[in-house]
Amino acid sequence: MKFDFIKNSGKFFTISAVLIGIILVMTVVVGPQLDIQFKGGSIVTYSYEGDLDIPAFESAVQELTVQDVSFQQSTDLNSGAKTIIVSMPGSQSLNSQQMEQLTEGVRTQFAANNPQTMSISNVDATIGKEFLAKCITAVALASVLMVIFVAFRFRKIGGLSAGIMAVIALMHDIIVVFGVFIIVPIPINDNFIAVILTILGYSLNDTIVIYDRIRENKRLMGAKSSVEDLVNTSINQSFRRSMNTSITTIMAMVVVTVVAWLYNVTSILSFSFPMILGLAAGTYSSICIAGPLWVRWQQRSLSRKAA
Amino acid sequence: MKRVGKPVFFIVLLLIVAITTLSFTGFSIQHGDIKTTYIKGANDIRWGIDIRGGVDVTFSPPEGQDATREEMAAAESIIKVRMVSQNITDYEVYTDYDKNRIIVRFPWKEGETEFNPEKAIRELGETALLTFREGYETDPVTGLYSGVTESTVILEGKDVESATVGTNQNSAGNQEVVVVLKLNGDGATKFEEATGRLAGTGNISIWMDQTMLSAPFVQSKIAGGEAVITGNFTVKEAKELADRINGGALPFQLQTDNYNSISPTLGQGAKDAMVRAGLIAFIAVAVFMIALYRLPGVIAMIGLTGQIGLVIASISGFFAPFSSFTLTLPGIAGIILSIGVGVDANIITAERIKEELRTGKTLDGALSAGYKRAFTAILDGNITVIIVAIILMGAFGPPKSFFATLLTPFFFMFGPSTAGNIYSFGYTLLMGVLFNFVMSIYASRLLLRSASRFGPLRNKWLYGGEK
Repeated sequence: MKFDFIKNSGKFFTISAVLIGIILVMTVVVGPQLDIQFKGGSIVTYSYEGDLDIPAFESAVQELTVQDVSFQQSTDLNSGAKTIIVSMPGSQSLNSQQMEQLTEGVRTQFAANNPQTMSISNVDATIGKEFLAKCITAVALASVLMVIFVAFRFRKIGGLSAGIMAVIALMHDIIVVFGVFIIVPIPINDNFIAVILTILGYSLNDTIVIYDRIRENKRLMGAKSSVEDLVNTSINQSFRRSMNTSITTIMAMVVVTVVAWLYNVTSILSFSFPMILGLAAGTYSSICIAGPLWVRWQQRSLSRKAA
Repeated sequence: MKRVGKPVFFIVLLLIVAITTLSFTGFSIQHGDIKTTYIKGANDIRWGIDIRGGVDVTFSPPEGQDATREEMAAAESIIKVRMVSQNITDYEVYTDYDKNRIIVRFPWKEGETEFNPEKAIRELGETALLTFREGYETDPVTGLYSGVTESTVILEGKDVESATVGTNQNSAGNQEVVVVLKLNGDGATKFEEATGRLAGTGNISIWMDQTMLSAPFVQSKIAGGEAVITGNFTVKEAKELADRINGGALPFQLQTDNYNSISPTLGQGAKDAMVRAGLIAFIAVAVFMIALYRLPGVIAMIGLTGQIGLVIASISGFFAPFSSFTLTLPGIAGIILSIGVGVDANIITAERIKEELRTGKTLDGALSAGYKRAFTAILDGNITVIIVAIILMGAFGPPKSFFATLLTPFFFMFGPSTAGNIYSFGYTLLMGVLFNFVMSIYASRLLLRSASRFGPLRNKWLYGGEK
């Protein structure tokens, strides 16, 4: 069985273009939501016992802080403890004294419910912005190093063009991961950067296995065969491997996602769920975008040479 | 290619089983009450504060206050003294002198039941209370000052101008390291009076909060506000004492707008859940691999087991003298991810072997061609993941760590990362790829080639070919 990836490449490009279009529109409409890690702010999680008078609790917290506070209730499946998450976005985060006052106040006013601080996350806006800039630099650095690496290793099959095509496929994957964070929505935090970088490495790995096959087949098939044929054969030969590796990797991450969801481990959930879709996008882009795109590039430069 | 003997299979298998088992169980000998650890196991892993619970806080001087390098060093030393005085030895402190920030991470003390992160952070950042007291009487139970030492305070932090390290010629004519103390006008007067009273007969003890730093003997009356403290110091010890005295004389209080805290119950549950997820993922991948690739699938899972064992060993430090590496929740996720990605090399090879068999090659021919042809793809693919792992470690790692230093040319304008959980992910990812290379290329090849020498295992069907 042989599927013609090159002939169908128009369809793939359309699917991807539409997908990217939807994500961009959503981004403009919804707007990306930065985690307090990047924009600064405070989030406190209190556990409590018994029935908490939520409206009273909310107004008490409002009184103790001067900010726009939002509340979210949840249950920790592991300990069975009921929790309430207090978020204070805004550039003015609470310093430790104010935080202590808040906790003291809550504890005295709701002593019957025995509120305990489960977790605090408080980020200074300046440090947050700096951290965001550092993360973006990290992603840019990774992308540049990848192009250089691919260009060097695949110089025999037109390294630079191969590198650039691979990176276009990578951008595609980054946008998909970004889209997951926008649409779900998950606040963009350091997990986002970890997922992006991992997907960069994974997706490029996928692309490289295909390029490697092209490199080998170019030697075996000789100059007679056309670029389309060469790339198509290579994609088909490595197709089963691409799929099976994706299956095992995605399977591992699905298990993590399900367990993290069951046990309410949010810090992992916002990591593993986008990872699944990123892995899927990475496999898709390596097979359906990087190779076919490279064929178009080669055809164009060939026809330019002929003219 | 040279033939691989039959015993090789058992030797490699035994090695993998031994290393993996040891990396989980460790090896230690209990001798009465003393436990000597020779090999560290999974129980010796240092868990990150997102698992153990703890506090992660960034201190800085108040806004508008320009702190000198010495002042930042002094502030750092206060924090260290306080950590030790609370019996927390497992803390990490990083000082960034360019941005004037001190990052402190510490876990909750084992056995602690009261968690008050707000209080812990406040106490850590408070101005140190430096006192010079008469004598060195201490309560034998609490270690606190008592008697005359409690009642007679000679100097306080505000009386001290600075403390520096210097050298002095002692009575025997040798150079010795000392701490030179400069006092301001008020302090000089008080000090002159006290040293006059105690000269030749008593000591003056120096305290930070409730910890005694030093208790030098008063040799003579000291006037003029400059004193030297002797005590057979090494340069390092003298510097430490000087820093601590300066810490008590800091003209500002450390502040923080940046801190995280997690209670231990939250993290413990999350860890158990993740370990369970890892187990399930491993079994799922094993079923898939063996169903799909038969014998190479079994070999792949043996290799993967060894890979996980080696990653665990690289985190725990394995041999007792090696330092361990903090493992966080994303770090565990990294190990699980490497279970999924780790079989990739085996999949590439197994697919290659199938293809070669289909072209009519003999079993041995297909095996050696399969491994040879799969090699470049595996190598190139793994390098991309290594690049990513290094960048992750450089961007999220603590300052002065190897990869952070390596990537300084790119990240110099940003301060050190105040979020430490991703660093561990980069590390487990890197270790996963490196050990995957060892296992899937070398160990699996030896295993498979050796296994293929056994008569019953020479059936091509076992390798994905026709019967």
